[in-house]
Amino acid sequence: MPLKNDGKIRPDGIEKVTGSLKYLTDRRMEGMLYGRVLRSHYPHALIKSIHTKDAEELPGVKAVITAADVPGLNGFGIVTPNQPVFCEEKVRYMGDAVAAVAAVSKEAAEEALDKIIVEYEELPILDTMEKSLAKEAAELHKEGNILHRAEQKRGSAEEAFASCDVVVEETYETPRQMHTYMETEGGVVVPEKNGGITVYMGTQHGLKDRFQLSRILQMEEENIRVVSSPMGGSFGGKDELNVQPYAALLALKTGKPVHIHNSRKESVRAGIKRHAMKIKMKTGADREGKLLAHQTYIEADTGAYATLGPAILEFAVEHASGPYDIENVHTKGLSIYTNNGVAGEFRGFGGNQITFALEGQISRLAAALNMDLHDFQAANMRKNESPGPLGHRIAPTNGGLLVLEAAERIRKEKEAELKEKQPPGKYIKRGIGTAVTMHGGGLGYGRLDPSGGMIRLNREGKIEGVFGFEECGQGIVAVIENTLVQAFECRREDVCFLIGDTEKVPVSGSTTASRGTSMVHHAVQRLKPLFQQQLFERAAALLDKSPADFYTGKGGLYKFETREQAITYRELAEAFPEKTLEVQTTFDFPVTPDEIDSGHFLYTFGSVVVEIEIDMRLGVVRVIDLQHAVAAGPVVNPKGYRGQVEGGGVMSIGYSLMENAAMTNGQYDTDNLDTYMIPSIQDAPAEMKVEAIEDLYENDQYGPRGVGEIGTVAVAPAIAEAVFQAIGTHITSIPISREILMKLGRKENRYEARV
Amino acid sequence: MKPGYNSTVKKDVHFQVNNQQVSYSGNPSARMADVLREDLQQTGTKISCGVGRCGACSILVDGELMNACLLMPCQVEGSSITTIEGIGSKEAMDPIQEAFLTEGGFQCGYCTPGMIVAAKALLNQNSDPSITDIQEALAGNLCRCTGYASIIRAVRKAAEVLNVQAANEKS
Ligand code: FES
Ligand code: FES
Repeated sequence: MPLKNDGKIRPDGIEKVTGSLKYLTDRRMEGMLYGRVLRSHYPHALIKSIHTKDAEELPGVKAVITAADVPGLNGFGIVTPNQPVFCEEKVRYMGDAVAAVAAVSKEAAEEALDKIIVEYEELPILDTMEKSLAKEAAELHKEGNILHRAEQKRGSAEEAFASCDVVVEETYETPRQMHTYMETEGGVVVPEKNGGITVYMGTQHGLKDRFQLSRILQMEEENIRVVSSPMGGSFGGKDELNVQPYAALLALKTGKPVHIHNSRKESVRAGIKRHAMKIKMKTGADREGKLLAHQTYIEADTGAYATLGPAILEFAVEHASGPYDIENVHTKGLSIYTNNGVAGEFRGFGGNQITFALEGQISRLAAALNMDLHDFQAANMRKNESPGPLGHRIAPTNGGLLVLEAAERIRKEKEAELKEKQPPGKYIKRGIGTAVTMHGGGLGYGRLDPSGGMIRLNREGKIEGVFGFEECGQGIVAVIENTLVQAFECRREDVCFLIGDTEKVPVSGSTTASRGTSMVHHAVQRLKPLFQQQLFERAAALLDKSPADFYTGKGGLYKFETREQAITYRELAEAFPEKTLEVQTTFDFPVTPDEIDSGHFLYTFGSVVVEIEIDMRLGVVRVIDLQHAVAAGPVVNPKGYRGQVEGGGVMSIGYSLMENAAMTNGQYDTDNLDTYMIPSIQDAPAEMKVEAIEDLYENDQYGPRGVGEIGTVAVAPAIAEAVFQAIGTHITSIPISREILMKLGRKENRYEARV
Repeated sequence: MKPGYNSTVKKDVHFQVNNQQVSYSGNPSARMADVLREDLQQTGTKISCGVGRCGACSILVDGELMNACLLMPCQVEGSSITTIEGIGSKEAMDPIQEAFLTEGGFQCGYCTPGMIVAAKALLNQNSDPSITDIQEALAGNLCRCTGYASIIRAVRKAAEVLNVQAANEKS
């Protein structure tokens, strides 16, 4: 059954619909200065000199800083801090920072940037992966031009191809996609009296920002407070540091709060993007349709710096065989430095690119074998106890088959509907396409992935969930609220939450990798008995009863005996004003017991059914309908779940049909939303259905999984399949080029061309 | 200051924001979006692209939908401006705001003020919009989070509620 509205309202909703919510970029403070960052003029150059004197002397300018003003490590990067805060000798991409200014007005700051004179000596631009890999290429970093290599092998694909009846080989290309959160990066950094700072800027992991900033500022972590919620979207794009170091350095230098809010242009220029990838696959099956061998080679353009490039490549490598049982798999990948924009974490984390390629192979093989796509997928779909895609142990799951069957049912319904519909006219081709995927949650084996949380009875007598997660729109606040209400069978007004403030929250880990929902559930399950026990003991002491006499319910504790309310939460809080009742837990995100790098343990599954129409005259593909089936355990927050999947789906319509942050000579071809097109309301299907498959495999104790990413992963291959169904051609790259479709239309004489 | 940035002959500009009279004496060619956000502290109006493409800065000027990032104070002399803050408040929400709330027509909420202002402009003129009407009216407002389906559900819901209210008022 498709998800329906449950009538509940998100706790942050009223502030959002009335416009009264203050985002961090909306903050204004007494005596606040405006900061701006000077970015490189060239994609690759040596810095000969930087003259800041003229800028410093401008009226209204309070500070101009460069690399010399960084007291600690002049670098950032979640894993490998190789991106300079300020470049000193060399710039490696157009987003590199060279200097920053703080001034009394935005205009003065802007003018000061114009007055900073930087002399460069241009270097040859490595604007493609080929150029970076060439023998004679300059080395962008001391370790060379390869950020990371990853390889996984099971059986022997090379040998198994010999026994295949069909083998298909193809090269796929996927674009650099921009996150396009509506709120660009920014906020305010405030210098505090104790010499420390408070950073009001969005991120997906406040404690990690604090750690990185402490390294840069050479300041104790205790003296840095990071307030990181709410955010106007992130999708992975604000996971890495962006303008925090500049505002922090300027605030410390001037002793004044410093506000930086990137313009869209600057956000495009400096911000990370989804990795553009080139993926070669060779896949073979026998005559009966059993997949026997699968070989993949991935090249990822990671741009100038590391951020999470290695982990993303490993994720893509892990998911190269997706949800299918294949005995012989060999996957290799390279993450390659170039002078292009930095690529990094983005919703789907390498899964989207690899799934586009893998499902493309599956479709081609099914066609070559003359088999129905669904039958071919089903014949090779992993079994409940099959190992994970790296041959490692994972939580047993039947999610793959369930989403596949749901997709097949939906596809058949849609086919029947289409038969009823008017034929679309001779220039229009219709098609229905499906695709499936399997997506790991959490960071995977071998990566620190601690989580935790706290529950307390606060002074107002509310049950407060305290987590180190951030709210970037995904609805973690509703997840916390719903989970608490369910656990204690209380009312919504009995609970509240505290998140996104490093001074007040425990370690929960990053708000990424579809892990938040899962981790809130686990934390509350652990804390519930402890918290209840303390409540009961307090009540027992106050009312002269035994702790075993009570249970939690609406508004307070109830007596088993009479089913009547014994005491309210408020009374319980007020009875012990000095002693807050508080319980805390820490644990790790579950990982596979097998020592296999990046191997995940919990996976979600998704299938997508799309209906498209192609206007062969214009080469335009329109998505008429987009439906998802998702197997991610119980639904905690139906509206949030549906919203994440629908929204992710449309984001991937953009990925499939229009979005490409293309670069020429190391410069973005587009610099704003008038040229970088994301789907508007006219590009999205007006109605979408999301089917949640909530049943978990027997004895699965892991509860609900996050759905932040799954809705984005299988849309592009489903659209590609629909194109194939409509016109009989398999496309190899996205966004699907209009020119190619038009050419096809003409070549195959599928319509009467007048050109 | 940049040449021509501050005009030497300064005249105050007068307009209304959410029924409050404003005389503005700053730069007459500033962006209205900045005037609202910085000078008048009405931060419900957002800025995302600054070039008139995303609608985050949508406001009503004498009832007409406009992008505040493309407007200057000198263009709104004598006009009456409505921002999200003037559409409804926490205590007294507009039915459109309620519908966005109950239908979940927002996630991060950054596009939401603009989206609601644009929906208001639509429903003021068309009390029973079709899906196509809604898509046309909101085509200038980008949302990266929701995928829009929930926004369409919200606008339809708001139209229903408003129509019931109107019918009740008549009878
Ligand atoms: S900020 Fe005005 S339209 Fe985007
Ligand atoms: S709700 Fe985030 S952009 Fe629309």
